[in-house]
Amino acid sequence: MEPRFSCTACGKCCHGWLPLTLKDAVAHAGRFPLAMVWTPVRSNAKSYDLATRLGQTVRLPNRKTVAVLVQPTAYLPPSYPCPELRADNLCGIHADKPSRCRTMPFYPYRDEKDQADLLIPRKGWQCDVSAAAPVVYSNHAILDRADFDRERGELLEQAPVMRTYVDYILKYMPWTLNDLAKMAAKPTGGNLVTSLSSFLTATRRPDAKALAAAQAPLMHALAERTRNDPALVDYHRSYSGWAKEMDSLARRP
Amino acid sequence: MTSCPCCSDRSFDECCGPILAGAPAPSAEALMRSRYTAFVRHDLDHVERTHAPEIREDFNRAEAERVADECDWQRLEVLRATEDGDAGMVEFLIHFRRDGLDMRHHERGVFRREDGNWLYVSGEVNPKGEPRRVVKVGRNEPCPCGSGKKYKTCCGA
Repeated sequence: MEPRFSCTACGKCCHGWLPLTLKDAVAHAGRFPLAMVWTPVRSNAKSYDLATRLGQTVRLPNRKTVAVLVQPTAYLPPSYPCPELRADNLCGIHADKPSRCRTMPFYPYRDEKDQADLLIPRKGWQCDVSAAAPVVYSNHAILDRADFDRERGELLEQAPVMRTYVDYILKYMPWTLNDLAKMAAKPTGGNLVTSLSSFLTATRRPDAKALAAAQAPLMHALAERTRNDPALVDYHRSYSGWAKEMDSLARRP
Repeated sequence: MTSCPCCSDRSFDECCGPILAGAPAPSAEALMRSRYTAFVRHDLDHVERTHAPEIREDFNRAEAERVADECDWQRLEVLRATEDGDAGMVEFLIHFRRDGLDMRHHERGVFRREDGNWLYVSGEVNPKGEPRRVVKVGRNEPCPCGSGKKYKTCCGA
């Protein structure tokens, strides 16, 4: 049976973390609060080879090798809707929404032939997978592949920058390696989050000051919004700290 | 008289004060102490200008300012300091509180003197001790106890 899929605009996938290509993160810096999300990919994982091309290969203290993916991410709590999700559940920036949103439900951090499970709606999602929906994936190939290819292309293009960043963090925050090892040892994996300020410093972005100026008000607003929510204590601490960092970067001569 | 934040038991004006004001640090240890004091006093300009040129652009000033702001600096302990000409090493322990937790930062910092000014070059966090070397003694080799006999007829018997 060939998988069928059609989006019903239920808005459920427009919540929480949104991994962006670097290009999209920069283009939407005035819209999304950004952080860098790390994912170790074990060498026995299906997507390992691809991950070595999209990210950095790192040797852990236990001598195992993992591929590390770093995604610039619109960093929102899972319960928070995308700031551009309208009241009618449609996208407020449909014409220039990020690649990640366009490619859904496919995911170019994984091989094209390994996408079938992504077409199964997650709990609570109202994707149409009935006979009324069109076939979108056949013989392990994506039928309309333009968005997938564009996002994959951007990821390949940014890979050298991401490697520079991984090397920088492992040099100046060497304990990150132990955190990666712990996550890689768990069957469920895990993520690590680092700041945009470290990325801007490591990659010497000439537009760092402007990006920080765009980010600062977003971080302040989210710090305020998460202030009294006991479930979001960690988010609140992150936003408050990053707000200070963005203020400081934006002030730099 | 204010006592120096670096825990030297001297006054600030006789210890880190002049170095923060721009005087050259007399030793790698003095520079390290002054950089700690700079964090305590939120004087990140001093931290930035005492970085070796090759790491200066890597310095995340924004994050350092946040760290200075969020940490309650409690104590600096210099564990070991050595100098050899223009090269210096200082191993230190910083005790601080952050987010309500007691934390320690243990680092072995490498310093270099350039034009009479000590600079911070790199640091190893949670440094390992000197590697322990195990030497295997052959049965027919002289015994390491110094007896002059072969190992197999002495301690290795």
